[in-house]
Amino acid sequence: MLPEAIELIVIAGVALAFAVAFAPIPGTRRPLLVRGAAGLIGTAAIAAVPTLDIAVLVLLALGVLHAAVSGTRSFATRLRPPFIAVALIALGLILVRVQGPDILARFGAVGLVAGLAAGVGVLPYLHPIESDEALTASPVAWLGFVGPVLATVVVLRAQGLLTVDAGGAFAAMLIGLGLLNMAWASVGSWLTADEIAAWRYSFVADWGLVLCGFGLTVVDGRRGALLVLFSILVGRLPLYLLSRQAIREKTTTRRPINIVVAAALAGSAPFVGFAARILLLRASTQIAWPLAVVLALVMLLWLPGSLRLGRSLGQPRGRQALGVALILAVNVAAGLYPLPLLAVAQL
Amino acid sequence: MISPAAGIVVWLGASLIVVSDGRKGLAVGIALTTVGLATFAFLTAGPIAAIALALGGAVAATRRYVTGAEGWAILPPGSTPRLVLSLATALIAFWVAAGLTSGSYVSLRFGVIVAAVLSVARVLSTNEQTALLSAVALLSLSAAVATAMGSSITSLWPYLGGALVAAAVGWLPLRRVSAA
Repeated sequence: MLPEAIELIVIAGVALAFAVAFAPIPGTRRPLLVRGAAGLIGTAAIAAVPTLDIAVLVLLALGVLHAAVSGTRSFATRLRPPFIAVALIALGLILVRVQGPDILARFGAVGLVAGLAAGVGVLPYLHPIESDEALTASPVAWLGFVGPVLATVVVLRAQGLLTVDAGGAFAAMLIGLGLLNMAWASVGSWLTADEIAAWRYSFVADWGLVLCGFGLTVVDGRRGALLVLFSILVGRLPLYLLSRQAIREKTTTRRPINIVVAAALAGSAPFVGFAARILLLRASTQIAWPLAVVLALVMLLWLPGSLRLGRSLGQPRGRQALGVALILAVNVAAGLYPLPLLAVAQL
Repeated sequence: MISPAAGIVVWLGASLIVVSDGRKGLAVGIALTTVGLATFAFLTAGPIAAIALALGGAVAATRRYVTGAEGWAILPPGSTPRLVLSLATALIAFWVAAGLTSGSYVSLRFGVIVAAVLSVARVLSTNEQTALLSAVALLSLSAAVATAMGSSITSLWPYLGGALVAAAVGWLPLRRVSAA
């Protein structure tokens, strides 16, 4: 099993335990635990199977199970994204493996990248979202829980299958798609009317960083991507969970805690998002310095959306306040000392 | 002769899944696809893979036969675009399999491409859970068989996995829509 995937599975388990312990509505803890554990088992299976072909079949089974969970969106609406992801990756694998002109392998790489985007739920395959849907049934389950391991497995296993030429195209597409997601989603997170949609866009913007990190074929790129995935699992996802109550009650506050949370979401120092961004900028400088300039400019777009999301958390009290403090502490610790995280992933 | 015939059977079965809305039409579509894909599995990975795939497809077809909308409902009103799509997919898949790509297993390439594309077409064209799950069975079986391409080592796991997914999804209860 890939060491990065093992680490992300453990982190996802920690995120699930946190979500169950600090769920704002006590009645939701049991379904959260049951569905979350099922999702975690499925996610672990994606990483545990020996080939990408079987991982794709596990993804299909997981997609069907997720679509079958009761929720506000129809079965068809929820089945389509993972189904299309599986079909695109399967077709991509066929084109990568068959004999023929070199361009076929490039088309195969297109299928793999498009399938990855569809599976996770980033542009141009945003999953439809409804504001009153349970967290476990919503697209955030893919963006914030299953996605990190899925993306790691797909990218790292696909890189072993692609030729040098197709691998270059694969990396370039990841960077391009990453930049598109960063720019579009950070602006969307800032300007969209719906708070839940704004949170969803913020996940997508983070995924832009991840895709760029995977596309930058130097070790700092993978390091940066891993830290962003960590911040999604242990930062953005639990903060989103804690903010849902305040969003339902349409409560927004402008207290210091909201500013600190906004800083964490924007990836400012000393949170883990900052370390990730530094690594990504360093990696892009090694590949092509103009890319680093573009990345730095796009990273500034995180701020307005993060300020908005920080306010949407409301004023946490009691158990919620403890949860927020814990999240911030973990993100600061990982931001100041990221080396253990990277060492476990052998990066 | 066996391999081209299997490819045509896969296309017929997948097309039947695309143009049918009734449980009998969908069940026969899954059964035909299973026969074709199990033949490919026999030719590329041996009898155990073929038996696994055949069992998975048989369970999926049987479950589809007993649940869903009554009758065959083949080519219901408004299904002409689906029929045209099935024909066009066959032409393009044949061109890709025989003209654009080279090497052995032309019929296998045709079969898995046509099955994958038509399963996506079905999922995008309906909201009926039975038709959607038929497409899931089609995709899982074809994705399993596709592993034979470009791989010198034959593993049974993809075939077992594909068969398991195809068989298991037939048992899913109809999902209810509810608020959070």
